[in-house]
Order: sequence, then structure tokens, then C-alpha cells
Amino acid sequence: MAIRVYLDRILLERRMSLTELADRVGVTIANLSILKTGKARAVRFSTLDALCRELNCQPGDLLVFEPGPPDDDAAAEELELEE
Amino acid sequence: MIRALGPGSVSSFLKVILDVFYVVLWAVGLIFAAVIVGLLLISFNPQVLPAPVLVHEIMGHAPGLSAAVRLTGAEVSLIGVLIIVQRLRKVFGAMTAGDPFHPDNVRRLRVIALVLALIEINDYVFGALDHFVLGAKIPTGFSLNLTAWFAVLVIVVLAEVFREGARLRRDAELTI
Repeated sequence: MAIRVYLDRILLERRMSLTELADRVGVTIANLSILKTGKARAVRFSTLDALCRELNCQPGDLLVFEPGPPDDDAAAEELELEE
Repeated sequence: MIRALGPGSVSSFLKVILDVFYVVLWAVGLIFAAVIVGLLLISFNPQVLPAPVLVHEIMGHAPGLSAAVRLTGAEVSLIGVLIIVQRLRKVFGAMTAGDPFHPDNVRRLRVIALVLALIEINDYVFGALDHFVLGAKIPTGFSLNLTAWFAVLVIVVLAEVFREGARLRRDAELTI
């Protein structure tokens, strides 16, 4: 995906564990893992708000656009449904 | 308030009915198969059962074979209905589990539409075979069943709706 999520880097800088962040933000660890690994399709503003508040950062610190090939997850899923 | 999804809902009730229907269909199918084999055996030796003139008039020159062909057509249709009911049970199972837009439901609905169309075509094929090849006097299955073809179209559209639903469900799952 062209949008990169730098959650792991910020967590490292803040010396915060994923479990602790999940507790503070009110999101499950499974969902935060999806976000961290870049598999998420969308992020709610409310989640982004909570993440930025707890990590004391800007949305731009978490999400970065890196030019590259478009996301092929959606296309792969379409194919999966087609089969 | 009657619920559409989840345990104890209309879906779970319909699934139980379909389960019973599925077992009954299997029993009927097996009986049909036995009768077809019996009729085919009789057709090799028609003297076993002296065919009355009326049967000749209705069924053509080979009453045993004609009846076997008709029953084979019915058996093929029955197998189609079995496949449809089996897929429907799974669709209702997913609905009972509270997950109507499971990606597998798309494939199941497409199979149902395809099999429904094949059942209709099967009726025409066996009807023509019986009438033109075996010389049955009563034409069977030549009326165009618009309701069935309309149902095929509706299910194809429904499958597309479910495909979109499955996509949205996946999006919702991956929305943090």
C-alpha cells in the first residue's frame, strides 16, 4: 500500500507497548496489529484522534504517503470472491 | 419482535425446515433411483408386464423405457434440488450465525442460480427426448416456465448484492 503506518517506530520512541496503547486508546490489540502491519483499509477519525492524543504526535507522524504501486489487496480480494 | 438473524431467529427456523427437507429429498431420490433401475430392467423384457393399449397411447411404443426416461429426468431435477437445498442450508446456517455476508454465500447463491437454470433446461431436454425419440403422446416440459427463469435472474442479482455486502464487510473488518 502507498500509505505507510509508522506506529511501531513511534511506539519504540515512546517506549510504549502495543498492549498499553490498546488499553489507552480503547482498541483491541488485534486491530492495532492490523494497523501496525499496514493491512488496515481505513482508520476512523476517532481512532486517529485517540492515537495522536496518547502518542502525543500528529497524524502525519503516523501515516506517510510513499509513492509506489497501488494497493492490490482490493484486487486480490475481488479475485478471491470471483473464484 | 421476530429477528431475521442469529440463533432462535426466522433463519434458524427455516434452516431446521431445510434440514428435514434435505433428508426427505435424499429418501425420495433413492426410491426414484430404485424405480428407474426396475423400469429399465422391465423395458428389456416388456412381456413381464403386459402393457395395456391406453399405456401405449400415452407412453408411446416402449412404456417401460419412456417411464424410465421421464423418471431419469425427474431424478436429475431432484439432484439439482438437492444441491440447491444443500447450498440454501449453508446460506441459512451463515445467517443463523449472524454473518449473512460471508464471502462463501456469494458462491452458494451463484451455484443455486446456475442449478436452477440447469433444472429448467433439463426439463426441456428430457421432455423433448421422451416426445420425439420415444414417441410419447403427451408432450411434457415444453412450456416456458417464466417464473423459474425470473427466479434465476433474481438470484443472480442477489448474488451480486451479497458480493458487494461481502466486500463492505471486509472493509468494515479492516477499519480501525
